[in-house]
Formats: sequence, structure tokens, C-alpha cells
Amino acid sequence: MLNLWSTHQFWVGFLTALGIDPRRIAFSSATSEEQARQFGKGRGTVDCCYPVKCISGHYGELLMREKHRKIDLLLSPMIYSLPSCLNGHVAASLACPRVMAAPENIKAGFLKEKDVFAEHAIRYAAPLVSLADPPIVPQQLYQGLKNVIPALTLDETRSAVREGYTALEIFNARVRRRSREVLERCAREDKPCLMVLARPYHMDPGIGHEIEVELRAYGYPVLWAQYLPADADLLQWVFGEDLRAGHVRSPFDIADVWPSSYSANTNEILWGAKFAARVPWIAGVIRLASYECGMDQPTYTPVQQIVERSGTLFFSFQDLDSTKPAGALKIRIETIAYYLEKHSSAIIEAKKAACLPDCPLIRDTRRESASVSAPGTPREARDPDSIRRAWRATQGA
Amino acid sequence: MTPYSEAPNQAGMEQDVEHAVHKPYRAYRPRPFTKSERDHSTVLFGGLHWRAERLIQGAMENLGYRSQVLSAPTKEDLMTGRELADIGQCCPTSFTVGNIANFLRSQARQTSAAEVAKKYVYVTAGACGACRFGQYHQSYELAMRNIGMESFRMFLLAQNGLDQGAADGGGLELNLPFTMGAIWAILAADVVQDLEYQTRPYEVTPGETERVARKSIDYLYEVFRASPALSRKTSAPLWYLVTSRFVKALREVFRNFHNIEVDRLRVKPVVKLTGEFYLQTVEGAPNYNIHRWLESEGAEVYPAAIAIWLDYLLRFAGQNYEDHIGVGGCARLKLGVIKTGQSLLRWSYNRMRTALGNLPHEMPDQYELRELAAPYYHSRLDGGEGDMLIGKALWAYHHKKAHMTCELSPYSCMPNSMSIGAMAAVLGKHPDLLYAPLEVKGDAEVHALSRCQMVLTEAKRKAQQEYEEVLDRTRLSPEQARELLESSPQMKRATYRIPRCGVVGTAANLVLHLANRKRQ
Repeated sequence: MLNLWSTHQFWVGFLTALGIDPRRIAFSSATSEEQARQFGKGRGTVDCCYPVKCISGHYGELLMREKHRKIDLLLSPMIYSLPSCLNGHVAASLACPRVMAAPENIKAGFLKEKDVFAEHAIRYAAPLVSLADPPIVPQQLYQGLKNVIPALTLDETRSAVREGYTALEIFNARVRRRSREVLERCAREDKPCLMVLARPYHMDPGIGHEIEVELRAYGYPVLWAQYLPADADLLQWVFGEDLRAGHVRSPFDIADVWPSSYSANTNEILWGAKFAARVPWIAGVIRLASYECGMDQPTYTPVQQIVERSGTLFFSFQDLDSTKPAGALKIRIETIAYYLEKHSSAIIEAKKAACLPDCPLIRDTRRESASVSAPGTPREARDPDSIRRAWRATQGA
Repeated sequence: MTPYSEAPNQAGMEQDVEHAVHKPYRAYRPRPFTKSERDHSTVLFGGLHWRAERLIQGAMENLGYRSQVLSAPTKEDLMTGRELADIGQCCPTSFTVGNIANFLRSQARQTSAAEVAKKYVYVTAGACGACRFGQYHQSYELAMRNIGMESFRMFLLAQNGLDQGAADGGGLELNLPFTMGAIWAILAADVVQDLEYQTRPYEVTPGETERVARKSIDYLYEVFRASPALSRKTSAPLWYLVTSRFVKALREVFRNFHNIEVDRLRVKPVVKLTGEFYLQTVEGAPNYNIHRWLESEGAEVYPAAIAIWLDYLLRFAGQNYEDHIGVGGCARLKLGVIKTGQSLLRWSYNRMRTALGNLPHEMPDQYELRELAAPYYHSRLDGGEGDMLIGKALWAYHHKKAHMTCELSPYSCMPNSMSIGAMAAVLGKHPDLLYAPLEVKGDAEVHALSRCQMVLTEAKRKAQQEYEEVLDRTRLSPEQARELLESSPQMKRATYRIPRCGVVGTAANLVLHLANRKRQ
């Protein structure tokens, strides 16, 4: 749920390295109205945004599993800051303050009348962890977990944290490579694709309503801003003019459009908007925002302006909550598909005309990556030695 | 709002689609504000209560700035703010954005937009966090664009840096003399505000406290304005720490308050205000005038000192260094510097309290607040008041500082809604803790105040019960207590300090004090 959508590989890598059988790591199921009704009812403590409200249902579902699937420990990390490819180029990479603190709020709903965790004999841990600040993560996780994982040591935690980062890095590199392949194919064939600008948890079908899935059914490849290719050759081409003009200090810099770059997810949305505006084959952008999202609210105008000034189509789905009216969704998807079909060729041509020559997406379809990325195929990624090698390579870089 | 509603721009999109690539969007960058402009440009600011604003104005004028305090935001400002910036803002954003926009519009009507952009610059606090407070600039920027004043200059003062250097152009130097002056102005305003709120509910002559408070702030404004000019910025902290200028001035304020006659046998519940920084601090429409409303409903208000927020910011910065000890970056040394800063802040605040007869409330110890809140809320969670919001409620409860805590947070405040949610577990454990969390939208006043009134009724009952128990314990009747008070005229002065005798209410403490003196 929520921040786990972009960090789950870290947690799987970390827990596996601590000796926990991956088959004994269970995630709660995707958010749904039924989940909230069945497991989260009466547990809310305050009115807040829709994604955070959903967590009660996830907690309840995990606590009330049948006897043969019962969990021993409910782990709900409070993620203070997030790993991001923009780290070092922005002011900070903090998590949304609500999502970060949500475990304390949701926990209160399961304690206010009686201790539901104790009632189900389930241990609860919500370690605070600054994933954008790796040196302090081992200590944070050790302090947060030593009372619930017997005989845990700091050294063991340190080693497991390394494995967690490696697993996450490998996964991210793989998905970014896939995004590049999509762009290369679109460039080669001069075909449009779409970009979703949203928070990672909008990948949860119950929160993002699978809007991008509906659009894929019309044949449009969909990219997510969080997993755009970060290869140096491509970024130099995309942001070369901005760099030369001194608008930005690096391809990952967003100070030209968003000076208060404190929030990791917001930063990625703004960066994704800039990327979409400058890449010709991204003909349309789908913006998703949840009900009462205070993080997204100030970004509505800048994001729309960044995208639309480039001539790219911009479609916004705001205030998403538990209601998923199929008819309304169908009409809007059809409208988007209609506009894409009608205008994408002209949009691509106009954007191409404004671009630098020698696009690396066309020039060389074999990737020459100069960015930090882990080697390995998915099969290799599961091999512990390969993970360690990749981690060392990352450290060296 | 209906899900899948179209963004406003998409209405009539068929006609709007064009395939031209325009100049890329760039964020607002204020044009430079130069030193030579200082003499004829006015720095606008606001966002605190009138006492702190007035004294900061004095400190700024001492440094050579022309400055003007924006009047307290109104409901009209709220509506303007909602209209000008993106939807879904929290109400402090709407109020402050509307406030500056309406001021500029009214000025532009008298002259011109270009003239106003030349004549004024705006300084406001920003944050280094992920909550909307850290992103206010976008709302201001959008509002300025929407009223056709893109060239108006706004500068953000980060709330966590003592020396932030000069803003672009060098006309506005956010350096140590500037920051130290502002902090000392805040400390002085805090203690005066505290004394004022302890006095007004008990004043014998209505309006007397208000008159004295205004006179005192005007006097302090002159003291700040006429302070010696600090040419070297490095000497500013030392000068502020050692000077007795402000302590002496506060003693004069204390003398002004001495003339106010009070009747502290009036039984009133003590209501501690906590919550989101802006809403607990301002006095006016943004928080439904809650301070005055509570007083009019018969309460003694325990206001939220801004100094506590400064102390919290220091504690929070220190925690970051605590977490980095052993990792590098001289964390231990930096933590030491922070803790020294906290001690100096407390020491300076206490000097000012002493000048006012130790009547203003003490600052709670930040590390005690952290410990109290720890079972419910992690101390490292950033944004809003974090664990302090819970710590303060428990501190007031355990130390008998107030009968009730009234918590003010903006509707949809991201971080504070989480702290308030965590309070559910606190209230489960301490069901007799009277807690009124108010979600402030700016409008819907009746709804919020009636909610507060329900808890206030219970607080009044508690205060009355406590008072009667004290009378029973001391075997005094109300008439006898009154008689004892009349025989000690010094106790009818606003400057008389009643010792705390283990109960909350002012009247109950006074009865215990009178009984103790009678026994002696």
C-alpha cells in the first residue's frame, strides 16, 4: 500500500536477507471498497485523503486472516524519505507527510477501544525509515525491529539493508530499461505513447482505478513518470537546451519549474511533466490525483502548463476516491482515445520540429547507458551473488 | 467533486487543440530588490498576531527597512484566495494569498499595477518540508498571475535558518541582525500576550487590559525601532543575548499592567490553544476569532507562544543530528550547538518572563513533550506540529495546566490530521482529557464553534467542581474567600502572582493561596 508501491523490492530484499522465507512475506491485497467495508469500518480516526483512509482496510485484512494464513508480524514502515533518481539534484526527497505518518494514525483506530493487535496475537512494527539517507537506515530499522524480530543484530540489519537497496536498484533499472524500449519503439515507428503523472500508489487498482489500463487497451503504450529512462545520452538530448541556457544545472534539476523541491513524489511528477513536454512521441499525459490530496493541489497549474505549452495533450482525473463510475470512465477514455487518434501525428511532428537533432532513441536502439544502473537479467536479479555484485558496482559509482 | 470530472481547461477542447510548441513554462523568479530601492520600497509582511507583527516591524525599521504590516485576513480574503489559486488549498493558504492579493489590488486601484510592483515587496515564511506550507510560493505566484501582477516581488524567509544571506539584489538581507531582531520581537510579544490573556478575563474595568496591552506594544515597538544599529552581523547574537534593553522595557510594561485591577475569584476554565502554527497564532477571521470567542464564553485562554514553535524547530533539527551520530558530518558537535541554542532561547525567554513577574507561562521542555508523545506518535515524523501536538495536550493534562485543550487545524491539513488521528489512542487511555479538535475551513464557523462549546461546557463544569472542592478542603465559603481577598489589595493587581497549588483554575489556586496565608 501507498509508499510500498515504489519500495516493495527493498522490503522483500531486506526481509529475505534477514532469513525470512519469501513465501512467508505477504502483502495486503489491492485496495477495494469491499476491503474497506469488511475490514476498515469504524477504524477511522480523522477525515483525511482517500489513499490514507484506505489503510485501515489493509490493516484489518491482514489482522483478520484465517487461522492457516495468519500473520505473526504486521510491518507498516513509516517512510520518511524515498529513494529517487532526482536525489542530489533537488532540495529533498521527503515522503508525503500524511502517508509518512499514516501508520500512527491508523494504529490509533485499532487501539482506541481495545488493543486489536494483542487480541489477534500479532506483533506490530512501524519503524521510521529514511530511505533517501542510506547511512542511517540500518540503525533506524534495527531500532524499529529489534523488539519484534528475535535476536536481530545491527550488523545483520546493515547487511540486509544493503541487499534491500540492491534489489530495489535492480528492479528500478529493469523497469527503466523497459520504458526506454517503449520509447525507442515509438520513435522508430513514429507512434504515440502516453505518460501517467501520478503518485506511485495510483498503480493500486483501487486508488488509480486502472485508468491507464483502459487506455492501453486502445493500443497506446503507457509510461509512468517514476520509471522513465535515466540514461545520460537520452537526458542530454531531452534537456540539452535547458542546460546550455542555464535554466537547470543538470537534467534532473527542476528548479526552473518548481523551486520548493522537497517532496519526492511531487518532484518526480514535475520532472516527468518536463520530460513528457520535450519528448515528441509522448503525445498525451494523464494526470491522476486523489481526493483531498494536499501534495498534488499546488502542482495542478504548473504541471498542466508545462505539458500544454509543449502542445502535448493533457487529461486530468482529479479527486479520485472509492467511487468508480464505469460509465463516466468509459466516456472519458473514449474521448481521450479520440483526441489521441485525431491529433497525435500532428503533435509528434510539431514537437519533433522543436527538438535537437540526433535523437538517441532513433540513432542507436542499443542502449548505451551512462547512468547508475544495475546489470543483470531478471533471472540474474534473483541470484544473491549477482545482487551483491550490482550493489558493489552501485557503491563504486 | 465527481470523479472523472474534466479539468476546466478541457471544456471546448476541440477548438483549443493546437500543435504549436510554446516557450516552456518557468517558475516565478522575483526580479531583484536592490539596496538602493530600500529607501522608497516598503516591505509587506504578516501572518502572526498583531503584537508580534508590530514588534517585528520595529526591529525591521531599526535595520533601515520601510515596512508595513498587512491587516489581519478577513473572510473576503478567504474567498479571494480560493478564487485565485488552485482548488483544494488549506485555509491558511487561501487567507494569506487572498490577503496579499486584495491589498495589492486596492493599492493598484489608487495608482497602477506597475507602481505597486515598484513600491512594495512581500516577505513571508516558507518551510523546508513537504507539506503545502513549503509550497505556498506556487499559490502566491498563481494569484499574482491571476491579478495581473506577475512583476510583484515576493521573497520566502525559511523558518529554519538564522543567516540566509541576501535575497536577489541585496535589498533584503535575511541575515543575523534581521533574524535575531525578529526572534527577540517574538519573545517579547509572547510574554506580553500571555500576561494580557491572564489578565483580561478577570479585569474589573472592561477594556482596561486591551488599552494597556496596546500601549505596551507601542512602547516596545519604539524600543525595538530605536535599538543601537548593529553594523557587524556577527555581533548581533551576542548583543541580543547580553543586552538588558528589552528586559528593562518589559519591566516598564509590567508597571503598566500593575495598575489594572482584577478579580481572580471568578471561576473560569483554562483553555489551552494548540494546533497548526498559523491558526493557533493569528487572532481574527482565519481562526474564527477563537481567542476572543473563548473569552466571551467565559474561559481563560492559555495562548500558544511562538517561542515554543522555535524551540520545537530546534529540537527537530537536533534530532536529525542525533540520528547521524556515528555516520559523519560532525553530528555530535552540531547537536551540541543546537542544544546550546535551545538553552539560550529558554534563558532569554525566562529573562523576559522574570521582567513580567514570572507571570507568563513557562516553555514546556521539548524532550518531555517528546517522551509523553512517544507511545502515540514518532518524534521524527515531519510536518505540522508532529508529536508536539500530542505532547502538549498530555503535558497540559498531566501538569494541570488547563481544563481543556482546543486544537485548531486547517481542514485537510496534511500533517496535523495525522497527529489528531493519533490522539484517538490518547483519548482511549485518558478519557477525562478534554480535547476539542477543530477543523477550520474559514467558513462554517457555527459548526466549529458549537463543537468547541460542547467540550467547553464540560470544562466549565470541571472548573466549577474543582473550585467547590477547594472551598470544601479549605473550609472557606465564597464570602469568606472574598473577604480574605479584600483584605489583601495587592492580590487584586494584575501583576500579583498567585502560586500554583496543585489545581488548574485561577480561582481555585487563589482560594488555596488565601487559605495558606490565613494559616500562616
